[in-house]
Amino acid sequence: MSKSMYGRSVSIIGVGCTPFMYTVDNPETNNLTEHELLGYAALSAMEDAGIRATDVDYYFHGQASPLAGSNQLTPNIHCGNWFGMKGKGSIHHSEACCTGYLALDLAANYVASGKYDCVMTGAVEFGDSNAYPNDSVETPKHPYKREKVTMEKFLFTTKWLYDRVYARAMMAPMELIYDDAAEEYVRTRGITAEQMDDTLNWMCINNRRNASKNPLAIVHETYQEIAEQNGFATDLDYLRSPYNPRMGDFLRAACLELKCDGAAAVIVCATEKIPEICKNLKHKPIEILGVGASSYNAINPHFEIRATENAVKEVYDRTGVTGDDLDIFFANDFIITSHLISAEIAGYLPYGEGWKYICEGRTAYDGDKPINTNGGRTSFGHAHAASGLADVYECCKQMRGECGERQVKKLPKTAMLRGYGGAQNVAAVVLKTIED
Amino acid sequence: MGEVKLEKIVQPFYEALEEGKIMGRKCPECGAVEFPPVYACNTCGCLHTDWYEISGNAKMHSIVMPAALSSKPDYKDMGKYAYGEIELEEGARFNGVVRGMTKKIRKKIMEEGLLPVEVHAAIYQQPGVDYKTVVFDLDEKYLQ
Repeated sequence: MSKSMYGRSVSIIGVGCTPFMYTVDNPETNNLTEHELLGYAALSAMEDAGIRATDVDYYFHGQASPLAGSNQLTPNIHCGNWFGMKGKGSIHHSEACCTGYLALDLAANYVASGKYDCVMTGAVEFGDSNAYPNDSVETPKHPYKREKVTMEKFLFTTKWLYDRVYARAMMAPMELIYDDAAEEYVRTRGITAEQMDDTLNWMCINNRRNASKNPLAIVHETYQEIAEQNGFATDLDYLRSPYNPRMGDFLRAACLELKCDGAAAVIVCATEKIPEICKNLKHKPIEILGVGASSYNAINPHFEIRATENAVKEVYDRTGVTGDDLDIFFANDFIITSHLISAEIAGYLPYGEGWKYICEGRTAYDGDKPINTNGGRTSFGHAHAASGLADVYECCKQMRGECGERQVKKLPKTAMLRGYGGAQNVAAVVLKTIED
Repeated sequence: MGEVKLEKIVQPFYEALEEGKIMGRKCPECGAVEFPPVYACNTCGCLHTDWYEISGNAKMHSIVMPAALSSKPDYKDMGKYAYGEIELEEGARFNGVVRGMTKKIRKKIMEEGLLPVEVHAAIYQQPGVDYKTVVFDLDEKYLQ
């Protein structure tokens, strides 16, 4: 029997999400601003909940790097009136790529405490472009024009995520984020480097098959289609080839995030207040059973693995949920290995056997152990702060049976979302459908 | 007056490297050593620690080779190297650089089940910066 970690039950009643996109590349989306993306996501979430902005007491605003990306501080203050919440209280927060998961926990805590009954939590990121001109933060910026950020410049700025005092000077903490999890998996599970290569490629294939059925994803072409266009018989042949070059000790190019622009938002409500606040709710609420948390500075060995173990244990101990209860799993996989190791740590896939499930296609949307049905970071895209809430959006839609072509076979009742980011912060979110 | 003090830790750590010493902090209650040095003990939760010079003897528990994603031009100055989990003789574990590791040596270590391998701390001056840092050298017996 599961139970809530919170002092009073809190449920998700509405979700909203923009397409994940390269806004600058498309005349229809070029020059969209943070206000418009987050405004759309927030208002969509309210519409989904069947409420008005006046029903919402408070809001959280997440963005990984508002100064670098948007050339503004206190971004929560600047956009509340865009979604009808002028004058309401708010907080901005930033936990890099873990922002969206902790955004849900923050909102749940505010409601669970009894301080508020209904809270909006949203996040926005322009991962693909910065405010124009993109030369330095001191330069005066145009009101709406943006400029692409190269991967080279992006990777340079990611060192800001690492402790200036020791981690950067010792070099290894900044570099082990890429291949540490793959090395640990190969060594401790006793598989070969070639088997790990195939597992990484299969995660890319599965993510892309999921994204191909998701209108909000940034890419839709399957690797099988790409393979055939380039003269390969199979997607795996293509991904094993120099078209997918090795970038790390284990990782290939397709194993990395597609950084992009997007926003997502969620409305949470005290479960006991839903009949009063959400008179027009047309779907089942989804209870936030709990969020396990752990953080390790990147100087610590196997920081992602250890933090995931801690966070999962905490949420399981406090909610009574186990890996056997999970019907669907999401993992922030901006480095795709995350989705293998976190699913095993959570007990969603059996220890040492997860790679086989992946290579058999069982973790795609049409398999029996679906993971990242929206396409994950390598195919849905990664708008850093917003991605966690985009996962919550997808998870809730799956749990409601509203995902159309990519709807998983068995309607999920219990879900885990493993958030990760910020070198490194981990959250293990457990959601459960409230039955009639 | 308690034992918690607002004292400099980072500057003395880097200044000690200039003098050829690698300093950690030792817990006066449980004896755990923190490296790199910080205020508190993360083993028993004691609120203060004391300076302690580490021996430099250590073990490497995992080996990740650098690649396009995980290297920077300045790192070439170190010659051949790898990243991995380091455990000091005094017990502290952290991510570090080990010089002298090659793909060929890693293959031999993994095939012969030699992990963890012995490594030794060294003080290293990176090009282009005005401070020294700590790296490790693979024990000579693995280089043959």
